[in-house]
Amino acid sequence: MHIFEKLPSRLEMIPPLVQAVIEKLEKSGLSKEKLFDVKLCLDEALVNAVKHGNKFSPEHHVEVEAEITGDSLIIQVRDRGQGFDYTKIPNPTEKSNLEKNHGRGVFLIKTLMDKVEHFDSGRTIKMVKFIKNGGKK
Amino acid sequence: MKIREERIGGAVICFLEGEININNSPELRKAFDGIIAKNEKKVAVNFSGVNYIDSSGLATLIEMFQRLKKIGGALRFCNMEQKIKNVFEITKLHKLFEIFDTQENALKDF
Repeated sequence: MHIFEKLPSRLEMIPPLVQAVIEKLEKSGLSKEKLFDVKLCLDEALVNAVKHGNKFSPEHHVEVEAEITGDSLIIQVRDRGQGFDYTKIPNPTEKSNLEKNHGRGVFLIKTLMDKVEHFDSGRTIKMVKFIKNGGKK
Repeated sequence: MKIREERIGGAVICFLEGEININNSPELRKAFDGIIAKNEKKVAVNFSGVNYIDSSGLATLIEMFQRLKKIGGALRFCNMEQKIKNVFEITKLHKLFEIFDTQENALKDF
């Protein structure tokens, strides 16, 4: 299975695209719990790419690629922004950050996915979820 | 997402149904604006119909929590499915919010 989608930098386009990807993944063997995690992480990655990456630019698209290789679902989200320092993301669960109304997206992705890598100065995020046993529930 | 409000005793219960996501979080904020405008101080959110929440939904709830706290009010949550509760637990927001298993418990001593 291989999915490739290009998304305009508009927030309202995100939920329908996420839903379409999840529907395609429903036959992949991922449990309902894992599908929920994948949906949330894809959603958060796309919001970050549209909002913080492309800064809503109508000239730039966000690319989403998903494929199943062996026992892993691999999703990559790419924006055309300026990148960011992914090593300096504040922990939103710290007491001083708990009431902040932003900054949970990357944290959720790192917590819920089994492997997360950033490339191209933060413009690309690669998220891996193990389909069968093992990995995070 | 569908939003329905009901008054029970001294509290307003907000029944949510469907997904809380980046597209409809503004609708939820608007519903909360209406509740604040009516000077309601005890607000409970019943999550029994909610099957999804993202970080924009969490942010909207945090804003409501802060607005109510500012006017001496309180926000309580109840009837969350485990997968929704997990999102609050992962982000440690279960430490910030009062989350009850049932609506009855949420309204007790409110």
